[in-house]
Amino acid sequence: MKEFNKNADENKRLNPRMISGLKDFACTLPALVFLGIFTYYPIMELFRISFTNWNLLNDTYEYVGFKNWIWLFNGSGTKHLLNSLKVTFLYSLGELSITIIGGMIFALIFNRMTKGFSTMRAIVFVPKYVAMSSAAVIYLWILNTDSGILNYILSLFGVGPVDWLGDRDTALLSVLLLTGWRAVGYGMMVYLSAMLGISQDYYEAAALDGANKVQIFFKITLPMLSPTTLFLFVTTFISSMKVFQSVDILTKGGPYRSTEVFVYKIYQYAMVDFRMDRASVIAIFFFILLLIVTALTMKISSGNVTYDS
Amino acid sequence: MAALENKSLELQKAAKRKKRVFNIFQTILAVIVTLIMLFPMYWMVISSLKSQEEILLSLPTLWPKEFHFENYLNVFNRMNFGKYYFNTIIMTAGILISQMVTGIFAAYGFSKGKFKGKETVFLIVLGALMIPIQVTFIPIYMMCANWGLKDTFLGLILPEAVSPYYIFMLRQTFMAIDDSYIEAARMDGLGRIGIITRILAPMCKSTMFTVTLVTFTNGWNSYFWPKIIAMGENRRVLTIGLAQLKNTFAGMETMNNHEVMAGAVLAILPVVILFFIFQKYMLTGYSKAAMK
Repeated sequence: MKEFNKNADENKRLNPRMISGLKDFACTLPALVFLGIFTYYPIMELFRISFTNWNLLNDTYEYVGFKNWIWLFNGSGTKHLLNSLKVTFLYSLGELSITIIGGMIFALIFNRMTKGFSTMRAIVFVPKYVAMSSAAVIYLWILNTDSGILNYILSLFGVGPVDWLGDRDTALLSVLLLTGWRAVGYGMMVYLSAMLGISQDYYEAAALDGANKVQIFFKITLPMLSPTTLFLFVTTFISSMKVFQSVDILTKGGPYRSTEVFVYKIYQYAMVDFRMDRASVIAIFFFILLLIVTALTMKISSGNVTYDS
Repeated sequence: MAALENKSLELQKAAKRKKRVFNIFQTILAVIVTLIMLFPMYWMVISSLKSQEEILLSLPTLWPKEFHFENYLNVFNRMNFGKYYFNTIIMTAGILISQMVTGIFAAYGFSKGKFKGKETVFLIVLGALMIPIQVTFIPIYMMCANWGLKDTFLGLILPEAVSPYYIFMLRQTFMAIDDSYIEAARMDGLGRIGIITRILAPMCKSTMFTVTLVTFTNGWNSYFWPKIIAMGENRRVLTIGLAQLKNTFAGMETMNNHEVMAGAVLAILPVVILFFIFQKYMLTGYSKAAMK
């Protein structure tokens, strides 16, 4: 121990700043090592697997060049890819509309600062914290064709039993109903906290000019909230593309692939069919898609925002 | 003159009346929307207390005829729910502790540390935000399988042990603290750990608490990775067990929804309780992220 201290002292005399810098760097090292092993190494490994014919059911695999890529872009995989592309974007569009438009409407409904309204806001927001798996089994029960409460309520109005999760026209909508229930309160809270940040001066000035409530909303509130809207757009877009859990519990990708989003498709190839090769090429495609969407949304948000002027 | 005053008073009264009507209308609308949003949770709790016959009635009842609390016991007795609970607690605690420790140290290094290439190295952390586990799970799964980590706590925790989000949020907060505090602490002979635990952590208490709550919730509710690495009974977590409750009572798919609902209540209870205790933090957690 003493010897160690002596060494440290000697080093300090040699170059104290460098030692201190090394110690600071060492603080970040555990995180960097983990990110290396569990994030960066796997993404490179994924590219390698995409050039093999790795099927978990076989003991060995060999390199097959671009065979999987050809399968994906110009083979039997293409129609699955296009389908997942379509379903994922439809889903994202739905979740974006619910979070942004629904969240804005909710923010306007719940914007009073009384105790009662604060309690109601908490109730509207709490689904965000309800585990998706619990929420999904609740919706399985509510949407049940024969004994679900939703079909019962509809039957009071003479609307015949709807097979919510079994019909390809309503399955994606049902998944969105579940995600929307969890997302809309979040959109509301984000908008409300941004609305509180808008200076009262604008509203007073507008009222003096004789603007009515609708005009004030479209001419002042909405433009002032554009950074918030873009924030919601960017983050929700990316996270909605990664949807898996609700699909897995509610529909398992069906019926007729009408809810087969990207992550579910990758999961299916890898963990159900054990085709690591095919799962890898789709995963890489999905990864590149995420990067493109991120870059595009970032670009929009950096150039097209109305800040306080 | 008096007539004019009267008239303006009347106008004010009319405006007030209009405002009151608007307020009443808004309140009614808000209550209706709240009730609709509350309904799924209400229905979950109510269904969990009904008998098997009652949930199958063609005319649904809004209030149970009799309360069947034994549904909750059944979930524990006929299913391994106790074990799932235990597994979830250990997994969440493991993720929470490792993310906190690695996150706080890394955030210190990237905010107050001084070393060559700091900003460049930080890009490694930011880049990791772009690579979700939904993309990389195949190689991670193969790796964990090779190391014998299938159906183990280590397998559940290790891939989630570092959160770039946690590092990023804490770094932002640490950077807002003036360097003079750090210098003063250094003069007093505090080392790095002392500076973190005595200066930075207390000064950033509320952000750290908020981020930690979010981490806890994410861990408790996580589904994707546990589904891949721990499908076996032994290390199954609540979220996965719940999704399979239905399948377990095979052949009676719609028959046991009262028990499935009881399981759903049990699974979300800790997080919902936390939410209502720490509402303030949980709400600001998201708005803080929104301000950035």
